[in-house]
Formats: sequence, C-alpha cells, structure tokens
Amino acid sequence: MTVLASIRDLTVTYRRDGTEVAALKNISLDIAAGERLAIIGESGSGKSTLALAIAGLLPAPSRIDVWIEWPGLGRVPLGGRDIGFVFQDPSASLDPVMPIGQQIAEVARTHLGLTWPQAYAKAKNLLERVRLPDPDSALLAFPHQLSGGQKQRVAIAAAIAAGPKLLIADEATSALDTIVQAEIVTLIRRLVAEDGMTLLFISHDIALAAELAERIAVFRHGQLVELGATARIVDAPAQPYTRALLDAHIGLDAEPLLNRSGLAT
Amino acid sequence: MSLLTVSNLTKRYPRGGKSIAAVDDVSFHIDPGETLALAGPSGSGKSTIARLVLRLIEPDAGRIEFEDNDFLALSGASLRARRARLQTVFQDPLAAFNPRATVARVLDDPLRIHGIASRSERPRRIAALLERVGLAAELASRAIHEISGGQRQRVAIARAIATKPSLIVLDEAVSALDVSVRGQILHLLLDLQRQERIAYLFISHDLGVVRAVAHRVILLDAGRIAESGDARAVIDAPRSAIGKALLAAAPRLHRTRP
Repeated sequence: MTVLASIRDLTVTYRRDGTEVAALKNISLDIAAGERLAIIGESGSGKSTLALAIAGLLPAPSRIDVWIEWPGLGRVPLGGRDIGFVFQDPSASLDPVMPIGQQIAEVARTHLGLTWPQAYAKAKNLLERVRLPDPDSALLAFPHQLSGGQKQRVAIAAAIAAGPKLLIADEATSALDTIVQAEIVTLIRRLVAEDGMTLLFISHDIALAAELAERIAVFRHGQLVELGATARIVDAPAQPYTRALLDAHIGLDAEPLLNRSGLAT
Repeated sequence: MSLLTVSNLTKRYPRGGKSIAAVDDVSFHIDPGETLALAGPSGSGKSTIARLVLRLIEPDAGRIEFEDNDFLALSGASLRARRARLQTVFQDPLAAFNPRATVARVLDDPLRIHGIASRSERPRRIAALLERVGLAAELASRAIHEISGGQRQRVAIARAIATKPSLIVLDEAVSALDVSVRGQILHLLLDLQRQERIAYLFISHDLGVVRAVAHRVILLDAGRIAESGDARAVIDAPRSAIGKALLAAAPRLHRTRP
C-alpha cells in the first residue's frame, strides 16, 4: 500500500469570541493511494475541518498544528492541481456570471499550461465525461440555466480538470434529492476509478458512505472515534458511538416508529 | 369526516415563455390524527402543495376544505382565526425565526396574536410548552441562535402546538437534523399526535423515515400523484416508475449483525 497522505497529530483551533475552540484534536490518519475513504460524523464532529485542512483551505484565523506528509505525491500539493474539491452547494462554488465552459477551461489552462482552445476542448471532453447532455451548448450555459444535479456535475468536472491525485467531496450530494444523489455517487465512483484518483468522501450519512467507501473513519467532537474497513465498521463496530450512529439510521427495513393502533378513527 | 380535503389542486408557473404546472390536478384528504406523507424528487411539487395548503401562495384551480370550511374563501380575521388550527414546522428553524429573539419571545407571539393567554398568564404557558417538547423552562431566556439545532426544532414544534392545531405541515422538518437527534424529534412528534390527535402533512424525500412514521403516502412526480396508499405497502413494493426509482436510489446499510 502506497500512502498518499500521512497525517500526524493534526490539531486545528478556531478563535471564537476571544476563546479558542479545538475543532480537531490530535488526528493521525493515513490515506492510501487509490482508496475510497469516507469521513463521517454529525455536526461539530470536525469532518469538514479535516477536509479543509488537507486541502490547505482553512480560514486564516484558525491555528493549525499539523504534520501532513505526501509520500504518494512527492511534493507539497497545490489546491486545484493536486487536490480537487467538490463542495455541498454547487451554486456557491460556481461563478454565476461566467459560462461554465470557461470555468472548467480556466482550471485546465492554469494548471496544465494549455492554450484557451486546448482548454476548451478539454472542458468539452470533461462535460461529456460527467454526462452533461449536449456538451457543446452546455459550454456556453450559465449555472442558473442548469438543475442542481447538473451544476454538481459541472463542479465535479472543474474539480478533476487538472487531473488531481486526490478528490475531496464534502457533503457533495447532501443538497440533492435521493435519485440525483445516487446518480452523482455513481458518477464519482466511475471517475475515481477511471482516473485512478484517491477519494475522500465527507458525509453525515453512514449508509451512503458505506455504499461508496472501502474504509470509514468516524469522527465526533473533533476526535477520530474509529477507523476501519467498511464491512467491519458496519457489522462489528468497536465503539459505542459508531453503533449508536448505525442504530439511528432509519432504513427501508426499520421497525416502524408508528403505533398504528393509536390512530384515531 | 376528513380534516383536510384537497380537490383538483393546480398551480402553474411561467417558465421560458411557457406555463408549467408545479402541481397538476392533485386531490387527497387527511383524517384527524393521521400522518399523510408527500414524497418525491426535487421539483415534484411536494413543497408547493405545502405552501398552497398553508395559503402562502394561491392556487390556479381547485378546492381546499379544512375543518368543514372553504379554506380558500377565507380572508382577514376569519382566515387568521382558522390558521391557528393549521400550523407548520420548516426544515431550518434558524431561517424561520429571528435568530436574536429569545425562545420566550418566539413562543409568546402565537399566544398573544391568537389571544390564547393573557400577558400575566403567558410565562406559565411558555414554561408548560417547553416542558411539553422536552426542554427545560430555563431555556426561555436564551436566544434562538445560542441553542442547538435539535433544541431549535423542539422550540419550533412548541410554537406550532401553542395554538392547539388540528393539522401541522412538516416540510422536511427532520431532514437537516443529526441522526441522533432526528429519532428523538420523530418520537416527540408521534407522542404529540397520540395525545393531542394532531394530523401531520409530512413532507420528506427520505423513504425510510416516511415508512417509519406515516400512515399513508402519496408519491409525486412532476406535479402529479404517481401512486398512493398505505405507507409501508407502497414503499415496500412501489408500482409506479418514480416509486421504483426512489426505492432503488435510497442508500442501504447492509448489516449482517444488527
């Protein structure tokens, strides 16, 4: 196993109202090259802070005591080139007044040294790869002309335009409905396999994470609770918190909460 | 007699020079103490139906009868009076409330506006409402933005039940909550339903939750009813194309040792 990124004793502290709040405490974690790793947790668990720390996107007032090595990369990663990032809300990550073809081509031009015509050809190819209908006219479309799922496809195309080694998807399907969510998960799985990328999938949904990831890391209150192969985490969780998360999932086979005899007639 | 009867409801919006039906000839009823779920993909019309039932928007055609009144014909004071019986809880209470208001203020408003309790009586009523939704009375003095998401949704439920409604519209009311909190809120809602005989119009994209809490479900597709019936029967074996697609897309946990 080649280690893409090795995180040792990562601590992130935010300053809020004059006091320091630790968002992550002493996290040590290896991300294997080519794996699909899910980071799951509830609000305040630190899962998004971890994603931002790995991508070097933490806001300035935060204090970071961090040791991340990148043996699988052999250099300090550059955001956009070595790490692609897909956020929850594609409307916020895409420029509303720039045609989407230009937004994707810009990434390819900046990081791959392509000319504009080459970059546009690459953008069109990427729109085909993310299965956007009619890529030729889509190049000239603005984000508001697309549905939420289509916008997320464009955001993914931009994220992978420079051929990153690591793709980070932070709640990338949480704002989408169930059917579109399943389509985007299928798309991410295919693109990661085709390009040999490593995937860091950040989610609050343990069922969704289990469908996509080979390993799952469970976070709570800024600490890594448990890390293991997906089947082991789901079938034999070592920590009570992991078991509680699994038990709280209301699946299609869950015992109904409703006492039907209680219905007034 | 049904509590709410919706007949041939239609709402159209202009889009790209054409008129698109967001809700297209939809009819259903809700009985007292019953949970009817509306499920479907984005754009299927479920939230538009909620807004029509709440009269936040007006339909292009159709009838809504609520507690034996022609609800669409009501206006002014008679509409305000009837609205006390029809409450709502939205997905994001932080967006629905003034974040700087205190919990007491949020609960004081409906008691005052609907003339339910005198000024001197209201603090006691507010404490009772907080207790009813499982919150400490001391929370009354805290600001909405200071409390947790789960506590906020409990306050939203307390506010909804303050006017003794017969129907509450729950529009993705548990969708944004952490899973550990979501179960508690669902139990609270079912408990209130049993004790107060409140009916719910439960809007959700999550078939697992719908199956667990609803008596009946309507599956919507492009503004029309694709399928309806007993919630467990429909979700366990949907017949419509959209029902099958929703079921296939739902994430599953394959636990061999639950």
